[in-house]
Amino acid sequence: MSSSLAGKFGYAGGIPERKVRPVWDAIDSRQYKNALKLSSTLLNKYPNLPYAMALKALILERMGKHEEALSICMEAKELLHKNVSLLMDDLTLSTLQIVFQRLDRLDLATSLYDYACGRIPNNLELMMGLFNCYVREYAYVKQQQTAIKMYKLVGEERFLLWAVCSIQLQVSCGQGGEKLLGLAEGLLKKHIASHSLHEPEALIVYISVLEQQGKYGDALEVLSGKLGSLILIEVDRLRLQGRLLAQSGDNAAAASTFQKILEMCPDDWECFLHYLGCLLEDDQSWCNGVTSEPRCPPGSVNKLPHITDDMFNSRIQDASAFVRKLETEASDDSKRGPSLAYLEIERRKLLHGIGAKEKLIDALVLYFSRFGYLACFCSDVEVFLDILTPDEKMDLLEKLKESSVSTSMVPTKSLGLAISLQKLQLQIGITYKLPDAELESLAVKMINIYRKNLPLSKDLDPQESMHGEDLFHMASNILVQLYWRTGKIGYLLEIVMMLELGLNIRRFVSQYKIILLHLYSHLGALPVAYEWFRTLDVKNILLESLSHQILPQLLLSPLWEALNDLLKDYLKFMDDHLRESADLTFLAYRHRNYSKVIEFVQFKEQLQHSNQYLIARLESSILKLKEKANNIEEEEGVFESLKCGTQALELANDTLCQSLTFNEELQLRPWWTPTPKKDYLLGPFEELKHPMENLDHCREWETNVRENVERRSLLPRMIYLSVQCVSASSKENIDVNGSVSDSTFSLEMKSLLERYVKILGCSVDEAVKVVLDVAEGQRPLEALGSDLIDWVNFAVFLNAWNLSSHESVLPRAEGSTSLWHLVNSLLQKCIVQKVRITGPKVCSPGGDLPVLVQLIAEPVAWHCLILQSYVRSSIPCGKKKKKIGPTDGSTSVLSQTIRDSVLSLYSIIEVVVEWLKEEVNKTEDEAVDHMLSSLTSDPNEGPGKVYQALIELWSTADEGELGDRIFQGIKSWSPTDVARKTFKGQHKMMSTFLQICDSKLKLLETVKQQI
Amino acid sequence: MTTIRKFCCNDLLRFASVNLDHLTETFNMSFYMTYLARWPDYFHVAEGPGNRIMGYIMGKVEGQGESWHGHVTAVSVAPEYRRQQLAKKLMNLLEDISDKIDKAYFVDLFVRASNVPAIKMYEKLGYVVYRRVLRYYSGEEDGLDMRKALSRDVDKKSVIPLKRPITPDELEYD
Repeated sequence: MSSSLAGKFGYAGGIPERKVRPVWDAIDSRQYKNALKLSSTLLNKYPNLPYAMALKALILERMGKHEEALSICMEAKELLHKNVSLLMDDLTLSTLQIVFQRLDRLDLATSLYDYACGRIPNNLELMMGLFNCYVREYAYVKQQQTAIKMYKLVGEERFLLWAVCSIQLQVSCGQGGEKLLGLAEGLLKKHIASHSLHEPEALIVYISVLEQQGKYGDALEVLSGKLGSLILIEVDRLRLQGRLLAQSGDNAAAASTFQKILEMCPDDWECFLHYLGCLLEDDQSWCNGVTSEPRCPPGSVNKLPHITDDMFNSRIQDASAFVRKLETEASDDSKRGPSLAYLEIERRKLLHGIGAKEKLIDALVLYFSRFGYLACFCSDVEVFLDILTPDEKMDLLEKLKESSVSTSMVPTKSLGLAISLQKLQLQIGITYKLPDAELESLAVKMINIYRKNLPLSKDLDPQESMHGEDLFHMASNILVQLYWRTGKIGYLLEIVMMLELGLNIRRFVSQYKIILLHLYSHLGALPVAYEWFRTLDVKNILLESLSHQILPQLLLSPLWEALNDLLKDYLKFMDDHLRESADLTFLAYRHRNYSKVIEFVQFKEQLQHSNQYLIARLESSILKLKEKANNIEEEEGVFESLKCGTQALELANDTLCQSLTFNEELQLRPWWTPTPKKDYLLGPFEELKHPMENLDHCREWETNVRENVERRSLLPRMIYLSVQCVSASSKENIDVNGSVSDSTFSLEMKSLLERYVKILGCSVDEAVKVVLDVAEGQRPLEALGSDLIDWVNFAVFLNAWNLSSHESVLPRAEGSTSLWHLVNSLLQKCIVQKVRITGPKVCSPGGDLPVLVQLIAEPVAWHCLILQSYVRSSIPCGKKKKKIGPTDGSTSVLSQTIRDSVLSLYSIIEVVVEWLKEEVNKTEDEAVDHMLSSLTSDPNEGPGKVYQALIELWSTADEGELGDRIFQGIKSWSPTDVARKTFKGQHKMMSTFLQICDSKLKLLETVKQQI
Repeated sequence: MTTIRKFCCNDLLRFASVNLDHLTETFNMSFYMTYLARWPDYFHVAEGPGNRIMGYIMGKVEGQGESWHGHVTAVSVAPEYRRQQLAKKLMNLLEDISDKIDKAYFVDLFVRASNVPAIKMYEKLGYVVYRRVLRYYSGEEDGLDMRKALSRDVDKKSVIPLKRPITPDELEYD
């Protein structure tokens, strides 16, 4: 059969189509068994026909029979290689390709297509298939070569553009130098000379190639020439033109272009900023060929020497006149644009030192009177407030208050106005200077405004946001501030009660849910926090941008099941996307949306280097190790799946070379925990004068992530090596000739220990001194700071290593045995102290429970693993029940030490267990009473006033006024139920933690009996 | 003040405030990226001062002959930016592209029959209920197929309502 048959009507891969169709139908309807039967019949009829084989392989792969599928594919591949007369068409190859791809063997598909293209030259279909293979492998140079071949073959514009995109990818994402762009430009020019261009996207790519080389003039020439008409949307063409003009330094022409755009789109803020920047020549963001467009108004301006004051004044007048014109001409729905533009003009004047603050303030008052009722008023004017001094802000506020009194509006709008006013007060920060009592009454006032205005929402659809929802949000900010000042947990509980009420009234307010999940986390009721997180329906890409709201808390908790679920969902999403991303890139190639090609590849890289992705992969390995740590045999299974810990090392090494990306949407976090690293609820309370200050914690967080990832990536390998070191040491005791590999373990462990403590900022000797001092009480536990777990881990690993090493590490010690004591006393110090600090749980939220959980789940677990390894290797095979007798003096000393260590560890964990049992055994009623009493304690001073206001809201609710839905929502709110839910969440945390501790005790019991 | 520009991949990482709305579906990646790869002119985002994402619209153009039409797959606005006619602006943009660039006959969209506020809004924008699709949403809730005729459909034939409801498998396009 010849390959020409493939294209003929009615044939698929050399088989009549009517015979193939039932197989595909069965596959499409997922009836794989039936499909397999049909395809086997087909294969009987057409034995050794590659397409029939490929079909069968495809079905087997879908059925999960990967090995069989691969072997059939390989067989088909070999047949195709061997037998020249066999059919080698794109259908056969693409079917094989699908199977190879699903089996993660892209390389095989590529080599097959490569071979086919060699065998059947000038077959466009096959060449496209080969190009597709290279797209999947991100092999940009090969892509380019293949595309050029296709271009030469048929001379089509699209293949040239495929080649040009492949060149751009080499420059932006690969190893290619910028001079390659010259090559791309040359290819395009030549093609244009003979064929011109026909696709708008082709023109965009051509211009971007010129732009990337800084050839703005050339690009402008192309755009204004005949080719420019390819861009059908006028505004799009003008935007491009404005950008190129600005980049080329022709500010006047750029300004006039942006002016034209504004005449068509008067509401375009970004364009207005470009216009003003070019007109005043004070925006430097275009310089140095920066192609990413500036989106924020400049915080400061560079005044150029050639612009005299007169020139500046005249230009700013032009701008004002233009904005006035826009304002008069603008239609109703875009009037906000020109008004904001006017504010920006006043701000620029001030930045240039010629404006008057009063004018800006007056403009803000005007803006407020027109748009103050909008929910986005405060975020709109944020940038203009920054330029005012605190006194001027106060002045502004007074004027706004006056203006709001004099304005009469429909009730919903005047509520909006009142909310904006309150929000602005919080934003400016003056409320935070109020005495506690006044602050508290402000919160009460907000609740009362909310209550008063509830009837406005009576007829709204439950899907719609209700009027005044922001008020609860603002009140919660005030209550956090009060908690801060007083440390009274009642304020936090008041927020919980309030937001739970809000969500009873309308259960879709995501803003409330996010605050609640952080508060429940803080109160130690993480299961409840997790439940709220789940109601946010975070899935797909939101897993990347929003998991930070809960993942860090789960990582430190005993809720391994929930953690595992979240990690699994997230990793599946990321892995799936990274796998399918190239197919989508190829789709963009096929649909000739070339600029999306580059964007897709860059986006894939951005996700691939995500810090959260790296953390999730590391932590899911560590979680597996934690889960199986009580059984050394099972743990060894985990080691195997993690390539003995080397996988984590490779992961961090690979990714850290490239820079990590941070894709988290932090804006949606409550302001008191601006990053996962920073939580102001944990104090120190005096640090913050005004909560809007200190918001820039991103850098601190990012640095911390990098260090943390580096440290955590060492863990799996160190755990593995610890186990090996211990078993090697015992073997040495029994069999004097230690093998070579044993000492390799020991050497590697030493170097990892060095790396580990280097991240903590010291050498091994220094680190030993630190832990020794803490263990002996010469330094306080606080000396270990927030890296406590890492220090204790270090001590545990050091001990394991020391068993197999002949180096002495303790400066004033007598051999390796004292390291066991060191570990014990260090663990005891940490754990006992943390238990003491954490105290009775119900009313003491905060930081130490997670530390305690980690101590047990990590260093204690690893230490137990080391003990298991020791016991196993010192018991001769087949005599596990028999206690080991002393073989010689040193072994018996060691055995005694280890026995002591087991006993000591047992008693340390017992301390935790006792404490946990006390907590777990508290009755629900007692705990609920305790919680509710913190809301009603003192009639004269808070907390309690907000709670009273909520109770009043609840008790005075009137069905006629509010309508059935809102009324029922309010009535179903029960503070006792909320308190119970909180208690249950805390209880679940404690009991889960207790289970983990109990399992450690049980393990130690067994170990004790074996020694 | 609003900047409306083409949606790009990075916006997927920044649109959480819009997508946390319970009625806004967060699709899988290949869904968004297929739209970006095939119909980039039909996927726009609105940004407010301070780079905040206010809302977005995604859609496509498809069909044959007189069924050649623009389709609104999703349009959503963050709570903070509601009640200022942003959805209208985004819809107008998509209609404009369907009308002027792609010369389509009409624009259509599907909406849950229970989503009264949305139906009202679309009606205000000139859409009419063309037909009811039984159990369109997860086999449970009915969907309404709403249409608005464009300039090419001079006689407004495309929006004459069908008399009987249809089932999802009778739909011409997904």
